Amino acid sequence: MSSSATTRRPGKTKSATLADRLGWVGAAIVTALVVMAIAAPWLAPYDPTERVGTPFLPPSADHLLGTNDVGQDLLSELIYGARVSLTVGIVAAIVALVLGTTIGILAGYYPKRLGSFLMRGVDVVLTLPFLPLLIILAAYLGRSLINTILVIGVLIWAGPARVIRSQVLSLRSREYVLASRTMGAPDRWAIVRHVLPRTALLATGTFVRAVSTAILLEAALSFLGLGDPIQKSWGSILFWAQARGAFLTPAWKWWVLPPGLMIMAASLGFALIAFAMEERINPRL
Amino acid sequence: MLRRWNLPILLVSLALIAGACGDSDPEASTTTAAGGTTAPTVAGATDAPTTTAPPSADPVTVRAAITGGEDTLNPYTYISGFPGWNLLMMQYDSLMQLDSAGIPQPWLAESVTSNADLTEFTLTIVQGATWHDGQPLTVNDVKFTFDYFIDNATGRFSRDLRGVESVTVSGNDVVVGLAAPNPAFDLVALADIPILPQHVWEGIATPGDQTFDISTNVGSGPYMLTDYQEDQSYRLKANPDYFRGAPAVDELVVIVFADDAGALAAIRSGEVDVIFERVSPEQIDLLDAQDPLDISQGPEFTTQMINFDVSKRPFDDLAVRKAIDLAVDRQDIVDTVFLGAATIGSPGWVHPDKPVYNPAVAGVHDTAAAIAMLEGAGYLDSDGDGIREFDGQPMSFEMLTNSSDSLRLRISELISEMLAEVGIEVTVASVETATWEQAVWPDFDIANGRNYEMAAWGWSAPVQANTIRIAELVHSDGGIGFLNLTGFGHPDVDTISAALLTEADSATSTSLIMDLQVLIAEQVPFVLLAYPDGAYVYNSEVYADWEFIAGQGIVSKVSLLPPGARP
Amino acid sequence: MRRFGLRRLDQYLVVFIVAVSLNFMLPRLMPGNPLALLAGVDVGLMTPDERAEVIRQVGLDAPLVSQFFDYWRAVLTGDLGFSYRSGRPIGEMIGERLPWTLLITGASLVISAFFGIIIGAFSAWRRGKKSDLTLLTGMIGLQSLPSFWLGMLLISVFAVQLGWLPSFGAVTPASDLTGLAHVRDIAEHAVLPIATLTVLSIPGVYLTMRYSMLEVLGDDFIRTARAKGASESRILFGHVARNAIAPVVTFLAIRFAFAFGGSVIIETVFSYPGLGRLVFEAVSRRDYPVMQAAFLVFTVAVLLANLLADLLYPILDPRMREQ
Repeated sequence: MSSSATTRRPGKTKSATLADRLGWVGAAIVTALVVMAIAAPWLAPYDPTERVGTPFLPPSADHLLGTNDVGQDLLSELIYGARVSLTVGIVAAIVALVLGTTIGILAGYYPKRLGSFLMRGVDVVLTLPFLPLLIILAAYLGRSLINTILVIGVLIWAGPARVIRSQVLSLRSREYVLASRTMGAPDRWAIVRHVLPRTALLATGTFVRAVSTAILLEAALSFLGLGDPIQKSWGSILFWAQARGAFLTPAWKWWVLPPGLMIMAASLGFALIAFAMEERINPRL
Repeated sequence: MLRRWNLPILLVSLALIAGACGDSDPEASTTTAAGGTTAPTVAGATDAPTTTAPPSADPVTVRAAITGGEDTLNPYTYISGFPGWNLLMMQYDSLMQLDSAGIPQPWLAESVTSNADLTEFTLTIVQGATWHDGQPLTVNDVKFTFDYFIDNATGRFSRDLRGVESVTVSGNDVVVGLAAPNPAFDLVALADIPILPQHVWEGIATPGDQTFDISTNVGSGPYMLTDYQEDQSYRLKANPDYFRGAPAVDELVVIVFADDAGALAAIRSGEVDVIFERVSPEQIDLLDAQDPLDISQGPEFTTQMINFDVSKRPFDDLAVRKAIDLAVDRQDIVDTVFLGAATIGSPGWVHPDKPVYNPAVAGVHDTAAAIAMLEGAGYLDSDGDGIREFDGQPMSFEMLTNSSDSLRLRISELISEMLAEVGIEVTVASVETATWEQAVWPDFDIANGRNYEMAAWGWSAPVQANTIRIAELVHSDGGIGFLNLTGFGHPDVDTISAALLTEADSATSTSLIMDLQVLIAEQVPFVLLAYPDGAYVYNSEVYADWEFIAGQGIVSKVSLLPPGARP
Repeated sequence: MRRFGLRRLDQYLVVFIVAVSLNFMLPRLMPGNPLALLAGVDVGLMTPDERAEVIRQVGLDAPLVSQFFDYWRAVLTGDLGFSYRSGRPIGEMIGERLPWTLLITGASLVISAFFGIIIGAFSAWRRGKKSDLTLLTGMIGLQSLPSFWLGMLLISVFAVQLGWLPSFGAVTPASDLTGLAHVRDIAEHAVLPIATLTVLSIPGVYLTMRYSMLEVLGDDFIRTARAKGASESRILFGHVARNAIAPVVTFLAIRFAFAFGGSVIIETVFSYPGLGRLVFEAVSRRDYPVMQAAFLVFTVAVLLANLLADLLYPILDPRMREQ
């Protein structure tokens, strides 16, 4: 980590303000999407599971984005898709965070034996091939939203674990922790009282970044046919677009472009927030 | 530091420049959707214009796309039933050949006679047929082939010959004796089995353990395999001395693609001239609209069905099965999922185009009647949640569907919708193919029982093509009904279906199958939803004389022979 | 230094053993078995004896422990086995696909490294200014693109609409091109996959480089160089970049290792015959030997890359050397 023993203050503030600005842009995007998700029943012209038109219709006054391969309204699917995609992204990130933080704190606080063992575990997980692991988990667990969330969570917890561990390692040798240990307080107390609160900010930043990754992963899983194609997420809209040959036809403009833009917007929004948080936590000169 | 990066940049720039200067796609955005008015063809007719390729002008080469390699394409190495077997049979001949109506006609056997009870078949072998290496094809080759497949008793062709007791040669005839009558012997064996050259195969003792190369591929058929690039391409050259006459296409190049998206892209850009796989319904109009491309479409014999475990509650109650059958709107499924490119499923199993189809068993869609039936049988919705109960539990079931079949997934979604209207809740569970197979047909042996409630299923064409195989689907005895995945059983169905397997008299046989269809429609061992059409796309400027064989499609040697040589 | 290397080595060994053993377990944990693959399409028509024979022929009826030992013996002798689907030696199959995977991932790695390092360094130098901000936002934006969507869009625009480039495959099928025409054909087919991968890889390199540079820029080390009167750009390229390069190299090394798992999504979208697709299909079909062999190649590649990065880091980063 860089030392802050330097006199370049003005540069720091300027970059921090700009990072903040990016963070606000990200927050605005995320808020807009969350509002869209919550207000879906009012915003969407139709029930996305209802067959309301002829299949494969191009955009028209009745269907602003046309219909999909069984006659469901694509715009409604897109709006409701925010619910599923955002939920999966956030919950999966929570799973990853809980897993990663627990292991990270344990590995950082007990670096000698437990920590070493845990980090080797992290290494093993990171060297296992991602896709087959995914397929195996999907095959074993079956296709459902819960399982998609679990699968993504299990795939992305290693990064947060590493980050948290580094933080805890350095915290461990701080005065207040050493003091509490000399006073004979149980480790658990020291962890909860001193380590956890100071890790919280870092964990939150990691969490937000994990949401960004999780949203992209959900889309990728759905596209590969490993998600639940019955659920209405942005990724599954793209799955059907690909399965029914939409991207080799003019339909790509209204069937492929919009969901992809949504996924990108959501991922970008969270990534910008995470970037702003990271700049705050660890200001670069 | 910059020098290291020069080469890749150079390469990429070269490529970009080359790409920009190269030929642009001649087909791209020149056609509009209007105009493609080729109506779906009826079985047997092709929609090709009558202009055939000029007879002896330039050699005609057809490039065909397939998805998935087929190894060295000999009788022991080809991989898939379709199109592997079809490509195999371009190189070899069978004793009989299906015509456009799907009826076996004399081929290598110029005449086929049998005794009254169909236990003895006399095949007169045609004179003048030769092997690709010039040797003549004789009765001994035919006898050798039969004996070879019987002795090496694994694989499709050996199974075709189950029940053969004796094979004897008498002059120019081969006489085959069966242990029990087989009314479908011509379809199942004579039109299916490739005849092998004795002088090539007599040295191969254990074909199962052998590694083959293409030097073994000596057949009598209209095409010879001259080049094989593993998982990439096959070159099949016409056999000018073919006993029915020289083929119309001089060379067939079969190109292997990883998936159908690649094949579709290739035919649209003109890199292939025909796709040897069925085209998905939504592609039909799009491809037809593109100028030189045409579609050959007709009914085929694959089936889309709903299976349930008849041995479990509540599917053991006929009223429930019947209600499900009534609640399902087959026409809606055909229109929405298949965009009209399918035939409505018959509750009696037999395809409406077959001569033995019983028109009395047409499917009925009546939601009100379904509801009345369920109410009458005591399945009421006591807690008002829209879901009926049985034995104190809600009628809520999982319908297993294999995730790799997107059309089937959509069908399952529609079924879920339709059954919700009558108070049965169906949740579509999209599972991996291997998992789905394992649940419905554990280890491919019905003796292992069943691990599902409801499932989307389907059988491949050969099961429907041979009508008497219905016994395999509905007979309660595992030895006969080894494809009975629903655990169904009914004494009358057992009797009739078993009788069909050995009934030699065609009039009796027809009357039996008529009765059986009525029984099956009444007893509902499964719900047959639709028979998807086969639609094949080809470039009519390269070759347009594709023959659509009912139930089988265009991929056969018949398509590549001049009209006079066809059965 | 030697003690350092040796200790890391035994940790790697442990990871290797565990990972490889897991690779044996994973296929067998999945529901279903390779029976359908081995027996072919008519599997349902076989008698139980025939099916048992098929299983016996590939040794899947042996007790799990003995299968495990056979597997380890194969791993240690480098015997990758034969595919259940085609019976081909897997070494050959991987050998056929690996060059294509390496072509697109290698090219995109090189291009993205080039642009990422330069733009990252520039962005760090202009830290806080408008150009930095724009670049940063742009890069985070690129990182948020779904890979398959970008690929599909590129195909729609460049292949379908404009017709400039082919839309699938590594080469034009069944063409007999040789020499320069063959190279051009390969290049044409590789442009879109490489472009997609590159666009998605640049942000990672950029961000790593930028952060690393900013860290270095704060060091007394650099202030000293400044004080000595060296010019700005000399400092930039001479000192800062060289010192900041270490994490980027690590990053690139790991990225390269992951290439050995193939890029399933890109290969799916472009129908490109790489390792990723091989693994995907093998997993779907339960082709155990192919799965195991591919996992093994991947695990070894990642471990080697990690080891290499660990050994190179101190050499590249002079600050670490001092410690």
